[in-house]
Order: sequence, then C-alpha cells, then structure tokens
Amino acid sequence: MKLNRRTVFGTITAGALALSMAACGGSDDEAGDGEMVSGEITGSGASFPDAFYAAAIEAYAEVNPDLVVTYSADGSSAGKEAFGQNLNDFAGTDSLVGEGDGPEDGSFQYIPTVAAPITVAYNLPGVEGIQIDQETLAGIFQGDITAWNDPALVATNEGLTLPDTPITIAHRSDGSGTTKNFSTFLDEATDTWTLGASDEIEWPEGSIGGEKNTGVATVITQTEGAIGYVDLADAVETQLVTAAIENAEGAFIQPSLEASTAALEGAEVAEDLSYNPLDAAGAESYPIVAPTYLLIRTEYEDENVAAGVKEFVNYLLTDGQDIAEENNFAPLPEELRTQALDALNETIA
Amino acid sequence: MTTLHGTTPPDLSGRNLSFRRSLADKSATFGIGLCVLIAALPLALVAWQVVSRGASTWSLDWFIEEIPRNYRTEGPGMGPAIVGTLVITGMAALLSIPIGVLGAVYLNEYGKNKPLARFIRTMADVMTGVPSIMMGLFIYVGYVTVIEERTGFAGALALACLMLPIVIRSTEEMLRLVPDELRQASAGLGARKWRTVMGVVLPAASSGITSGSLLAVARAAGETAPIIVTVGLTYVYKPDLFDGANTTLAAQIFRNASQPFAASQDRAWGAALTLIAIVFLFTILSRIVAARFAIDRR
Repeated sequence: MKLNRRTVFGTITAGALALSMAACGGSDDEAGDGEMVSGEITGSGASFPDAFYAAAIEAYAEVNPDLVVTYSADGSSAGKEAFGQNLNDFAGTDSLVGEGDGPEDGSFQYIPTVAAPITVAYNLPGVEGIQIDQETLAGIFQGDITAWNDPALVATNEGLTLPDTPITIAHRSDGSGTTKNFSTFLDEATDTWTLGASDEIEWPEGSIGGEKNTGVATVITQTEGAIGYVDLADAVETQLVTAAIENAEGAFIQPSLEASTAALEGAEVAEDLSYNPLDAAGAESYPIVAPTYLLIRTEYEDENVAAGVKEFVNYLLTDGQDIAEENNFAPLPEELRTQALDALNETIA
Repeated sequence: MTTLHGTTPPDLSGRNLSFRRSLADKSATFGIGLCVLIAALPLALVAWQVVSRGASTWSLDWFIEEIPRNYRTEGPGMGPAIVGTLVITGMAALLSIPIGVLGAVYLNEYGKNKPLARFIRTMADVMTGVPSIMMGLFIYVGYVTVIEERTGFAGALALACLMLPIVIRSTEEMLRLVPDELRQASAGLGARKWRTVMGVVLPAASSGITSGSLLAVARAAGETAPIIVTVGLTYVYKPDLFDGANTTLAAQIFRNASQPFAASQDRAWGAALTLIAIVFLFTILSRIVAARFAIDRR
C-alpha cells in the first residue's frame, strides 16, 4: 500500500515535470525558466571535450544551482562501458558505439555537442603559413618525405623558401582518440596512407612520442624541423605554428573554429545524428575535425534524473554553445543544433 | 696482557689509530653520511616543492568551499575532497584494522604453523604486492556494478581490501616480537588465553600495531586508481558514504594536475599539501594514542 502510494506520487511528480519541460522545450534559447529541476546527475567519458564540459557545468551552476551536474573524464571507452552498466546518467564519447562497447542498441541516443579541429603544427623558424596537400601529409607522417625542401612541399609553397632541415615526426605515445581521428582522416582521404587507422599507430623510425596533446606540443616546440598533430586548444595554449591543410575541394585551410563549424555544415549527418566531419565538403571547411557526442538514455528509471539530463543537455545545446568558443571548441552549426535539440526532446519526453 | 687487565679503560676514541685505519674510518663515516644526505635529499625536495607550491592556495575558503567545476577558474575550494578523504579512509580503516589485527592474532597466537594459517600468511603476502587498481576493479565488478552506483562506500571497501593484508602482516610481525616470557607469566598468574592476548600481548605490541596500521592508512589515503574506478567524482559535500559519487584529495590531485591550466595545477599542489598535512597529523595523533596504551609507558 505504502509502495503504491509512492509510485503514484512519483508518477504525478514526473508528469508535472514532463509538462513543465514540454512547456519550455520548444524554444531553443530558454534553458527552462519556469520550474527548475533539482537533484544530481552524473556523466563520464571522453576526456577530449572535458575542458568545455567543465566550463559549461560551472556556468550552468549559475543558471540552476539546485541541479548538481558532474562529468568525470575517464575516457570514451570507460564512459561507454559505465553507460552500459547503468553507472552514469549520460556518457561522453568521441567515437561511435561499437559492438561490445557496453550500451545496447536502442538504449541510447547520440547528441552531438561540439567539435574541435586537430591542427598539424610544426617548428621551422622563419617559415609561417606552410601549405600541405593531403598526399604530401600522408607522405610526411609515414616517413616517405624526410626533408622540408622536398619537391612535394616546394610545389605547394611557392612563396616560401624551405630549408633542407630533416623532418621529425611528433606523435602521441599513449593510445588516443586524436591519433584515431588523425589517422582515419589520412586513411580515408588519401590512397597512399599505409599505416592504418587506430588509437595507436606504428610510426616510422626516428619519430618522437609525447604523452597527451601537451606532450606532443612540447616535442614540437623543442625540436627544430618537427611536425605533429595537436588539438586546437593545446596548440593555441602553447602558441604553435600550424600548417594549412588541403581540404576536399583543394583549398588550403588554416585550422580555426569557423573552419571547423564550416566542416560540420559540410558533413553528412546520419539518421542517428552521428556524422563524420573528416575531409568534409565545402570550400571553407578544415579537413581534420574531430566530433564528440553525449550518449543519453532512451529510458531513465528515475524521471527526475531524466528531466535533469534533459535540462542540462538543452543548456549545452543553447547557451552552452557560446562557452565552446571561449574554450577553443567549435559550436555546432544551426541545422545540426536544431536536429540535436529535436532528438533530445523526442528521446526524453 | 697487562693492558687488558689494567685499570685504564681501553681507548675507543680512535685518536691513536694507525693512519690506514683512521683513513678507512673517516672515509666510511663520510660515505655513510653522504648516503644519508642522498637518501634525505629527494624527500626534502618533495616536501619543499609541495609546500612552496601548495602553501599559497591555503586559506579558510580552501578548507570549506566547494570544488570549482571549471579547471580554468582560479581560487579555492577543496572542502568536499577533504571530507571525502576523511570519511572514506576512516571507513576503510574501521573495516580493515579490527579484522586485520584479529586475523594476525589468530595467525600468531592460535594458527601458528597450521595449514590454514600458512595459507592465509602466503595469501596476505601475495595480496600486499597486488597493484591497487586490481582491488578497485574487484570492488567495481563485485559491488559497484551490482548496486549500479558509484559510492564512497565502494571506495572504502576497495581501500579496506588494500589495507587488510598490510595490517595482517605488520601486526603479526609485531606480535611475534612480544617475548614468550610475558605470555608464560600471564598464564602462570592464571589468566586464560584470551585474557593474555587482550591484556598482555596486544598492549605490549600496541605501538608497533599502530604504526603498521598507520602505514596502511597512509597508503590508502594516497590511493588514486581504485578511487577513480569505484567512487566517481563530485564537487559538493557528500558526508554520506552511501549517497552517490564522492571524491578524495588523491583523486582531485590526479584530476587537476592532468590539465594544462595554471589554476587547476595550483589546486593540485594545494590538495597534495593538504593530503600530506592530514597524514602527518594522523601519524602524530596515533603515536600519542599508542603511547598511552603501551605497557612499558604505564
């Protein structure tokens, strides 16, 4: 009897909450101004967007201090596993859910949040704005092109005088989503890339490994003639010189947030809202952009948690997008953002 | 012969040694001194580094404010992690020390060389060498995934598993040092075996047991890997171990130190200093407590 009464009460509260959410769910720029959800929701997963999520969570605490949101950067695969075991309320991941990752088919919905470019940074004193086409980039990173004055590089950089400094490859020593996205780009975009696409690559001999993005940035700063791939936030933080990379339409594009958002616009979005912005169409698109998603549950046991997740993710997709740029993440283009909001409203009624 | 039986004591000052022997003596003394210095140097450097970098973060707010959610945000707040460290490590100590000490009493006073005792001893030795993440994964699989929630109590369980073998082995060593004459004297006065153990053996070994247990507590307080797996993360106060995710100082050091932002790195140093201070404080406290219980000081 007691149990019954509680269930009834729960349903009523849930219904009221759902109503209040529905009332403000339609408008994009309101993070729910009427009744705010209180309680606690936890997320875990990808470390790559952690700086953005942390900033967004802090800003969100100002909007609704009663809903405590935590995001623990345990890594994409740990986040997906925890999601499958019902240990978190939402998961962050840079890669799509594969078989055996944890979450069952139909139990989750992808919500794209932000994206960030992976820069190709180099250390060649006095040489700025170097342009590298896709095949040459593959050649450099698999050790076929060993000097900066190689004819392939000279051909795309007519205005620059390139020294005969040998090229040193800087790469991630730890298994990394950045490596995965970078190698996937080379694998998909070029015919000559032979090293495969994976979290860890067998780099050519003589290359130098660094721990995390900051480690690679340090290697590049300290080694003349070095070239490596670093995410934009760390490249900006460590003031690296970046190369313009040839995109799908043959234009050379410097990594920037605008060029990344352009790439997102050019990317084809699948029905489940997953998309691949690598080598995306569009003249302004930067070709190496890494996406990141949140996984939200299609069914939540606790209605209050569901409302909390909805309110927070809604914030990420609306006001939270402004925070992205301050933290060197590219906000979603309008169309994808609307799709994501629709999916959110559909998944959590 | 006369010198041996003479009234003047033998000259031990070393002043009249031959040149070769005094040289050997001096160089050995110097060598030992140097080794002490070298051994102390990294310790002193660590202490100096942590204090010089961490001290600036300390303020009243540091101990009471919630943890900033954003890495870039400057300013204090480690209160929840301090509370988390205290309650999680405290609960782990509460779980493991009584069991560990009583287990050691069984091993040394009752089990001796029985097969079961030998088995437990070997297993405890093996367990002390197991990496801490294994204990974290054990609790993760056996407890966290079953109740489907990361809690402070799960962390306490993992830390207790980690501490148990250390407590057992160090306590047993201490009990072994208690002279048998004490046990015989107690038995001779008519005390039963349990009275001998509780009234004579344990108090006689109490200071050793305390330092052994403390070693285990200090190790547990500094554990990061099992905490991250079992406890999760929070920014707010969670004094209730069963109420969702929690956090500890060690986990906060790891989380904040791995970010490129100066503000979060400062917090990592501050948390490191706080952790050292807490362990230091508890060492002193328990020494005082142990001294009061020790038989030879009464």
